[in-house]
Amino acid sequence: MRAEDERYFERLEDQLESAFDVAERAKERGGDPKPEVEIPTARDMADRVENILGIDGVAERVRELEGEMSREEAALELAEDFAAGRVGDYETKAGKVEGAVRTAVALLTEGVVAAPIEGIDRVEILENDDGTEFVNVYYAGPIRSAGGTAQALSVLVADYTRALVGMEQYDAREEEVERYAEEVALYDKETGLQYTPKDKETKFIAKHIPIMLDGEATGDEEVSGFRDLERVDTNSARGGMCLVLAEGIALKAPKIQRYTRNLDEIDWPWLQDLIDGNYYDDEGETADDGADADEGDGEATAENDGDTDASEDGDAADVPEGPPRVDTSEKFLRDLIAGRPVFSHPCAEGGFRLRYGRARNHGFATAGVHPAAMHLVDDFLATGTQIKTERPGKAAGVVPVDSIEGPTVKLANGDVRRIDDPEDALEIRNGVEKILDLGEYLVNYGEFVENNHPLAPASYTYEWWVQDLEAAGADVQALEDDPRIDLEFPAPEEALEWATEYDAPLHPEYTYLWHDLSVDAFRDLTAAVAEGRIERDGDGSVDGNGDDSVLVLASDDGVADALETIVIEHRQRHDDDRIEIDDWRPFVRSVGCEPRQAVADGAALEPDQRPEIELERTWTDGDLSERARTWGHEAEGDNAIEAVNEVAPFRVRERAPTRIGNRMGRPEKSESRDLSPAVHTLFPIGEAGGTQRNVADAAKHAETMSDTPGIVELEVGRQRCESCGTETFKNRCPDCDDRTTPDYRCPDCDQRLEPDEAGRVECDHCEREGTCVETREIDVNDEFRGALESVGERENAFEILKGVKGLSSQNKVPEPIEKGILRAKHDVSAFKDGTVRYDMTDLPVTSVRASELDVDVGQLQALGYEEDIHGEPLTHEDQLVELKVQDIVLSDGAAEHMLQTADFIDDLLEQYYGLESFYEFEDRQDLVGELVFGMAPHTSAATVGRVIGFTSAAVGYAHPYFHAAKRRNCDGDEDCVMLLLDGLLNFSKTFLPDQRGGKMDAPLVMSSRIDPSEIDDEAHNMDVVSQYPREFYLATREQADPEDVDVEIAEANLGTDLEYTGFEHTHDTTDIAMGPDLSAYKTLGSMMDKMDAQLELSRKLAAVDETDVAERVIEYHFLPDLIGNLRAFSRQETRCLDCGEKFRRMPLTGDCRECGGRVNLTVHKGSVNKYMQTAIQVADEYDCRPYTKQRLEVLERSLESIFENDKNKQSGIEDFM
Amino acid sequence: MPLEAPARIVGELTSRGYNAEREAVTRLAGASDPGAALERVLEAVPEDALVVRTEHVETALSADAADAARAEPAAVLDGEPTPSVSTGTDPTPGDDTSGAAPVEMGGSSPADRSVDPASRSLEIVGDMTGQSTGTGEYEDFVSVFRDRLDRLGGKLKGRVNHRPATAIQDMPGGSEVAMVGLVNDIRSTASGHWLIELEDATGTFPWLVMKDREYVDLVDELLCDEVLAMEGSLADDSGIAFVDSLHFPDIPRTHEPSTADRHVQAALISDVHVGSQEFMADAWNAFADWLHTAEAERVEYLLLAGDMVEGVGVYPDQDEELDIVDIYEQYEAFSEYLKKIPGDIEIVMIPGNHDAVRLAEPQPGFDEELREIMSAHDPRIVSNPSTVTLEGVSVLMYHGVSLDEVIAELPEEKASYDDPHKAMYHLLKKRHVAPQFGGHTRLAPEEEDYLVIEEVPDIFHTGHVHKLGFGKYHDVLAINSGCWQAQTDFQKSVNIDPDAGFAPIVDLDTLDVTVQKFS
Repeated sequence: MRAEDERYFERLEDQLESAFDVAERAKERGGDPKPEVEIPTARDMADRVENILGIDGVAERVRELEGEMSREEAALELAEDFAAGRVGDYETKAGKVEGAVRTAVALLTEGVVAAPIEGIDRVEILENDDGTEFVNVYYAGPIRSAGGTAQALSVLVADYTRALVGMEQYDAREEEVERYAEEVALYDKETGLQYTPKDKETKFIAKHIPIMLDGEATGDEEVSGFRDLERVDTNSARGGMCLVLAEGIALKAPKIQRYTRNLDEIDWPWLQDLIDGNYYDDEGETADDGADADEGDGEATAENDGDTDASEDGDAADVPEGPPRVDTSEKFLRDLIAGRPVFSHPCAEGGFRLRYGRARNHGFATAGVHPAAMHLVDDFLATGTQIKTERPGKAAGVVPVDSIEGPTVKLANGDVRRIDDPEDALEIRNGVEKILDLGEYLVNYGEFVENNHPLAPASYTYEWWVQDLEAAGADVQALEDDPRIDLEFPAPEEALEWATEYDAPLHPEYTYLWHDLSVDAFRDLTAAVAEGRIERDGDGSVDGNGDDSVLVLASDDGVADALETIVIEHRQRHDDDRIEIDDWRPFVRSVGCEPRQAVADGAALEPDQRPEIELERTWTDGDLSERARTWGHEAEGDNAIEAVNEVAPFRVRERAPTRIGNRMGRPEKSESRDLSPAVHTLFPIGEAGGTQRNVADAAKHAETMSDTPGIVELEVGRQRCESCGTETFKNRCPDCDDRTTPDYRCPDCDQRLEPDEAGRVECDHCEREGTCVETREIDVNDEFRGALESVGERENAFEILKGVKGLSSQNKVPEPIEKGILRAKHDVSAFKDGTVRYDMTDLPVTSVRASELDVDVGQLQALGYEEDIHGEPLTHEDQLVELKVQDIVLSDGAAEHMLQTADFIDDLLEQYYGLESFYEFEDRQDLVGELVFGMAPHTSAATVGRVIGFTSAAVGYAHPYFHAAKRRNCDGDEDCVMLLLDGLLNFSKTFLPDQRGGKMDAPLVMSSRIDPSEIDDEAHNMDVVSQYPREFYLATREQADPEDVDVEIAEANLGTDLEYTGFEHTHDTTDIAMGPDLSAYKTLGSMMDKMDAQLELSRKLAAVDETDVAERVIEYHFLPDLIGNLRAFSRQETRCLDCGEKFRRMPLTGDCRECGGRVNLTVHKGSVNKYMQTAIQVADEYDCRPYTKQRLEVLERSLESIFENDKNKQSGIEDFM
Repeated sequence: MPLEAPARIVGELTSRGYNAEREAVTRLAGASDPGAALERVLEAVPEDALVVRTEHVETALSADAADAARAEPAAVLDGEPTPSVSTGTDPTPGDDTSGAAPVEMGGSSPADRSVDPASRSLEIVGDMTGQSTGTGEYEDFVSVFRDRLDRLGGKLKGRVNHRPATAIQDMPGGSEVAMVGLVNDIRSTASGHWLIELEDATGTFPWLVMKDREYVDLVDELLCDEVLAMEGSLADDSGIAFVDSLHFPDIPRTHEPSTADRHVQAALISDVHVGSQEFMADAWNAFADWLHTAEAERVEYLLLAGDMVEGVGVYPDQDEELDIVDIYEQYEAFSEYLKKIPGDIEIVMIPGNHDAVRLAEPQPGFDEELREIMSAHDPRIVSNPSTVTLEGVSVLMYHGVSLDEVIAELPEEKASYDDPHKAMYHLLKKRHVAPQFGGHTRLAPEEEDYLVIEEVPDIFHTGHVHKLGFGKYHDVLAINSGCWQAQTDFQKSVNIDPDAGFAPIVDLDTLDVTVQKFS
């Protein structure tokens, strides 16, 4: 590690420590569940693993093993330690296995995700039919977050430990084997699996697996056969088990095999058969199986034959030649939702053009889009909006990049313009008739590596051309240094000169999309150009032709279409029978015409007129070779690029061979995380607070006139003061102010119990679990008034103080109301664990400018930023600096929320804990340099971050490593930030719900520094170079495997001094927040408005088939809604409007059987047919298939039949005419 | 009234290889000399015509108008020419060029079906087409269930000394009590007994069936919302009653089926699924051909229990498995297949869950548009369910969606796909075609419960499960007809092997069944 990195981390840790000290002092004084901070700091993975598991000694052993072996091997090594009792304090065999399995999963998930604690419920010892013991591992749903490898290895570790402690293998009963097969299939149907093993495969695994996989029921759907088995205690699908079996064992068999081979104690010879797919033969017990086996083999052979044929075909030279193209994929269009538009159909002309590169706010599952395009798609795309995409991955977060080409549009006045400025986009937006081309779409090389996707043919862009130019022998350095030359955006004659002088391909700026034009259309276009004339438009503009000339063609639909297809800027003036092209020289030369000075008729020559220029066609149709005439991808002759190359006096490369289809996924997010409904305090008030859960109301509530107001019966944990014996529900004794402890009793004999070392409380006599939860009367009024007084606030300090109905934690310890009062005062709400959170969509950024972060150079310098990315001293707001790994950028909303939280914390420290305030912020600039926690759902570890600035985009920009440390990528994922002291002061494990998944999304441990080798390795695949080599671009035309191309990715620097630095980018962007701040999806009001806008946009986009969009919206949104609601209507439950009681069927009395109140339907006519008319209208307007229309007709008649009285039909006005 | 004329005309036309429009037959029958008129018409019809149309008759008759006027007044065949028509729809000329299949195809003697329409009779009861008055309000649901209790309860009230639920609560502990009500809830207790909650118009009352009592077997058969009577004794605190006996509305053991007075047969089929890629056109054509043979000359009625066509949008991505994607074309094609059936056979059909009507039951018969498409053979189109009485033999026709539920809920030995008629027995026993609400079957609330089996039918005819099965329950013949659709991918995936291409033929004079196989 470089010294400056060390300084950076030490600085963060110092800051963390001083906040920790404040929090520790506060905790000692307050009435919190624990008198100390409950988030332990982990400096490395070993710490995290130990803290998450709560098993002492694990960290030390992990550190010992880490240098010597891989993590997987370490997990097996630790299994030996557990078995031998060297680690962990377990007496039973089951305990040892459990400890080893949990540790293995924690280790393999780097101690970040909740799977080791939430995903493994327990390990039991059961008996085989021969009386021997075997191990049963009880998995739960959250094992999902561990991923397949860790799931599979958990089984291996369980088996290894089993062997070491001396137990037998599991011998599955026949019905259990069958049950596994049925259940895995059921789970796949209900929830879906990434990989679904065939029944045979499942049975094979079940038969051979040496430990029993079991788990909790996760779904409602039950298996139909093999129910009520003795050793399986549910008839529902056990989700955790299914995941481990299918996505773990079945999918990752080769990985497990690598480790079983090295272990003498255990032997999984069947893995080889599983990998080879030999499980068909294995049975051989019944004729039936045998027959199936043959069938299976037969299929396999047939497939093999097919493959051979295919490869032979591939080798054969008789395959028609054509340009390299990727295959279209429609997957991303599935489940299209109303209101979320399609931007481009698969590989459609006019769609986004693939450009390779990484912008500084890019990489790690993101897609760079030009901000002008964001505006032109009616603001549906904003920074952070998720799109579902055709390739290379499935989804990506959108980032604004303005150093790529913008979209080209046709305006109502006939102008066809490329829009490279977001301001222009806004100005002309109302006049856009058609979006001919969406512009470029930036994807970095690393995305292809991460998704293991073959490289797609690259667009011809500046960064490739300049390397072509150099390869052609030009002195590029000299050209770059020449102040009169703009290499990236040259004048037309410069471009022509380079193309001819160096024999390099024509500059991309003047390379048009010839490959989208058919050879026939190209011929026609050439003919039209040859007929064209050069005019002086007289506007004095030089237009880069060296004069103010303009090419004028006769107005013609075919010509206009061709010009729109190749996306060249021009003006269509059909009324004046002319089409004008400004930068005409490269275009004219590309179609094989030569401008010639014409000898004009002397008599007509006006004195001020220069000689006419005539365009001479240099080729005839017969000159084109067979190859050029038939060149094409989908059909012969649909691609004119070869023709262009034959007739033009220079080489022309395919400008945009790869288009990428995509549609909107989720909108971006930046909002505070509230429980639903939002709560200020985790203090229970039952029903007394009304539907608002208003504590003030509860304080006045009385069931009857004779009750004392404010007395509410509540379930809370009983605490006992050790010094004076007082019983209370508070963490401090109200009498002597000593700390209290939970008072556990046996529910049967009321014996007072003490928890054992493992934290379990059990009554020895009755063998029942003890509890401290009791129902008692609490004077909410007293508590509320007392709390107000203790923090010195009055009731008018806040609008409303919301509590919770009841507590869901194990010991039901309420939070002090004081904290809620102060939260309410500052209008922040509490999450289930007592913290205040703010959610943002994750986006990556590796270099930033002070100017875009609303901070000044001084502030950056104060944070340790001294040099810009080029090593120059940092003196100016516009200089780019490389972002440090734990620095984050807050959205405006997050900053506002953090300020409120800081005020709350300051008041809390002063008014509740009696300490000095800590933050004392005046405005948001004070937030710069402050620490926060980043915390992602499904994980249990927070990562410390530091605020560096602000952005108007509704996202959380941070270093990709920061996101990866939280186990997130940036494809539309979102997670939260918490203010450091809020987490330290207010988080308590005691508040967490006592249910499956309750410990997820809670900071059970925090990482104070990021170790790049301990983060999600997806981030290691991000490329970190400033230029991709020419070989890379050439390789894309071969659709090479990305691994075979030499572009440096972050992985290369792992474990070196450079691991925190050197994240270079190929493309800059003016500002990390450009384009709309919010997607139109969020600003438009109703679903109908969104859908109208979606369909309207689909009409404008050349790359979108609006009928298909309408079909899909109807198919995936309206029809399921209509059909589902109609079905629900005719089998619905009913509910009492007065007491809320539900009835499976309408009571025969008509009234509520519980309270006599009014009963009504839960599904009404209105909810059934709300989309009917809209759907019919859309189907009609967008010309959907008769099939779709008829489905709607049939449905409409069904609705009429059910909701209209045949004898009293609603009559239209015509009945009265 | 003598009705020979139309039938004889049809018979004559058929024997010469023509089909005829109903109106054309009427006109011919109404002519002064039908025999001569028929000859003239046949001379005049174009060579390629397969169907004698009204216009042919008109042209032929008007050409010889003068002749006709002078002709001697032969016995005027008066009387109602079209006894079986009540739908009131005008027949429209169908498109006959495509496939109004000539009856002679198939080779076997397309024969002299010497049928005698005069002795036919056909009545419909319980057709709710055009009678759907429910508007989907809460009250509609309440009244339909009340109607069920009233009507089926009425059948039980004579058998037990019943009391309202609220009255039972007030009776002294240990009393002997009885109650009639809808099953509201069935659950097992921790000790393995069964708790059944009965509901009547006053409220609910829990009944306990002890696990060691003889009646415990019947608990397996119970479905929610069926009507039951229970007898037993009240517990000491009057909070629950112990069941001594329970009664279903059931078919009386004394039931004696009616039969036809002559030897006449009906073909009972269902689930044709025209439009599906798996529709078995060959089997259907063989069936139609067979009907033209002498062997089938006694088959004078054809009952179709739903799913004429495969439909559109019945399941996701159905269009990929359709042969005919257009729903109207599906019915047109079906109509063409129907035309292959001898024109003198009376056809009655009800819709099924694939048809283009509402899915919620009762399902009204097809709307005017679809009726017009299928008008060529002039079938009677009535609601699902409906009862049709053929020469005194009543046939309850119901498509059979609830069979899925009966089979799923009841133990395998009591109801299974292999013996679909056994599942039907339970519906007969419960006297309701789809008792359970809220599950698989959908209910559209109407003012009365059309799904109640009010009168005991002689034959109960269903389809839907694509399995052939028949048998008698208390002398009621239950028939589940097979289908005309080969195994679909879906059926393959769930291992259902359909009985396709069978036509059960019932002798209406004996209620004996013979099964004809066409695949």
